[in-house]
Amino acid sequence: MASISLKAIEKSFGETSVLERIDLDIAPGEFLTLVGPSGCGKSTLLRILAGLEAPDSGDVLIDGERVNDVRPADRNLAMVFQSYALYPHLSVGQNMMTPLRLRDLSFTERLPLIGQFLARAKYRDLSSQVSDAAKVLKIDHLLARKPGQLSGGQRQRVALGRAMVRKPVGFLMDEPLSNLDAALRIHMRSELAELHRSLQTTFVYVTHDQAEALTMSDRMAVMMDGKILQLGTPDEIYNNPRDIRVAEFVGAPKINLLPGYLDADGHAACEDVVLTRVAKNCSGDITIGLRPEHLALCSVKDPEALQGRVVHKENLGADIYLHVILHQGGHRLVLRAAPIEGVPVSIGQNVAFKLQHGVAMVFDEAGKRVDLSHEAEKAPAKSGVKATVPEVA
Amino acid sequence: MARSKAHYWFVGPALFLMVLILLLPIGIASLMSFTNYSLGNPGAEFVGLANYEKIFTRSAYAKMFGASFRYVFVVVPLSVGLGLGAALLINSIKRFGDVYKTIYFLPVMAALIAMATVWEFAFHPTIGIVNSTLERGCGSFLESWSWYAHGCKQGFPLWLTDRDYAIWTVAFIGVWQAFGFNMVLYLAGLTSVPRELYHAAEMDGAKSAWERFRLVTWPMLGPTTVFVVTISVIRSFQVFDTVEAFYPQGGGPSKSVYVMMFAIYEKAIQQNLMGIGAAITVVFLAFVMFLTLAQRWLVERRVHYT
Repeated sequence: MASISLKAIEKSFGETSVLERIDLDIAPGEFLTLVGPSGCGKSTLLRILAGLEAPDSGDVLIDGERVNDVRPADRNLAMVFQSYALYPHLSVGQNMMTPLRLRDLSFTERLPLIGQFLARAKYRDLSSQVSDAAKVLKIDHLLARKPGQLSGGQRQRVALGRAMVRKPVGFLMDEPLSNLDAALRIHMRSELAELHRSLQTTFVYVTHDQAEALTMSDRMAVMMDGKILQLGTPDEIYNNPRDIRVAEFVGAPKINLLPGYLDADGHAACEDVVLTRVAKNCSGDITIGLRPEHLALCSVKDPEALQGRVVHKENLGADIYLHVILHQGGHRLVLRAAPIEGVPVSIGQNVAFKLQHGVAMVFDEAGKRVDLSHEAEKAPAKSGVKATVPEVA
Repeated sequence: MARSKAHYWFVGPALFLMVLILLLPIGIASLMSFTNYSLGNPGAEFVGLANYEKIFTRSAYAKMFGASFRYVFVVVPLSVGLGLGAALLINSIKRFGDVYKTIYFLPVMAALIAMATVWEFAFHPTIGIVNSTLERGCGSFLESWSWYAHGCKQGFPLWLTDRDYAIWTVAFIGVWQAFGFNMVLYLAGLTSVPRELYHAAEMDGAKSAWERFRLVTWPMLGPTTVFVVTISVIRSFQVFDTVEAFYPQGGGPSKSVYVMMFAIYEKAIQQNLMGIGAAITVVFLAFVMFLTLAQRWLVERRVHYT
């Protein structure tokens, strides 16, 4: 277990700047995910952490010690690569033993044949470590095979095994699940999280898949254009994004964004969608963010009901996502419905739905989150009606 | 389903040409090797294995095998080793890689027979640059080497005409000519080694260049090495131009450079003994076949990992 700190890391390749003053503190034993679209610099950051790439400026600290000038082999971090990077000529067992051999054996002990003879006890010890790790990962029956004879998921486990067999102070993972098929990826998510719990070691995990970040991490850092936009628990990132890009990146289906404006009282509005809460210290054009689960089907007679026509329907079994075009303004929204309400809806049909109260997000022109407060705090609302959507039309 | 005969038309031309220009000549050569045929004679007598018996009993042919194998066993390891070394060095530098590539590849592009003439001048005992350079070293510390001191007193070797040196000198020119080609093949092989494997090796604790070479580079170059060695062996068995240029008559001092290709040429063309020439050709073919198959079966199975 080790704490890892990155201080003011900058990196550019030629003219293009990839990382702009990144500061990041990772607690011992934490599972931290760096998530962002491709090209955002997350892999470069991980490689700087590993030592495979040198930062232009800034410091990398492991357990409080500056390791900028320590070579990767001596940082005692293990890395799992996207391509797994297994040695194709070595069997699974030999692959997993390689880090142990290179660290724990002297040059003569590593010589073929003679080495095994000289250090028999050591070799026995190493192979028992390998088989222990293999048992944990349930690959002990594959130790004699070559990587070429394994499936993607098995290779993934071997790569994990090679990383964990020498008990490093931290694991670095560079999109380890992206070469697996969808079902296996979801299965491996929980296995990795469980592995993290049982090893209790620091994990730094890089992914472009927001679902992986949300499901596995203790904290996640959303990166874009070489900057960390927001760092927080998955819950914070999802429910309280501070930047419109974070809100857009995290969550599937994507958050609905409506271009709007602030009225005189500070109510954010877009056509007939008007929020009850008010924004202070802000003016001009804004964007309203509504997650699909913030919208719900309702009766047409509901006073807050909005009307729209269903143009597309995605049935995921447990949830049904309806793509609706608002009658007023023609904006397209995705809303989540329970199967019981959603199944009977057919494409082309008109539906009525309303917003949940107090959950919509508002972003200013620069894309920063605008905090909303209830008017009620200052002046009591009329007859206690929190009419979110006054029917204008 | 109606059976069409189109497939015969697809394979037909290739098959016909292969039989006509490859298999048929080989068949004729092997038939000829059992006769005493000479070009211009109306017929030939069947002599059974007499030609082969000569090849495996007469001392001239023992010298032929000796010269060929010496040449192969010097040129192949050295040209493969130097080719790999040069490729690794060029691959490791950021600048001037292309310059070095061109320099090392020049001997491959040059016509060997023209280069042989140049080397002949260089190795000339009195006017050649090699011996005159060596003579300049006389009187210096180099004389503590007994071979050098002997050269200073008695004159340096007649590289091309001394039977103790001739085959090694020819082999040296063979290495000089061949390693650039191997280097290019290895450079191509090196580009296909995934960079992530080096990173994985570094993370696993491979700190020295030798460890990375043992763990990643050498195994990943396995298929390239098999190909390079096979092609080098075949090309070394085929050596002819330098021998013909240096020793148009008789294959060098005491036949010490009497390589197989030259023997075939001398017997079949110069002396018009087609039968024996054909027999040497068949033996040559058998060697090359054997080596190629051995490479494929024994080694290739171990270097392709998927």
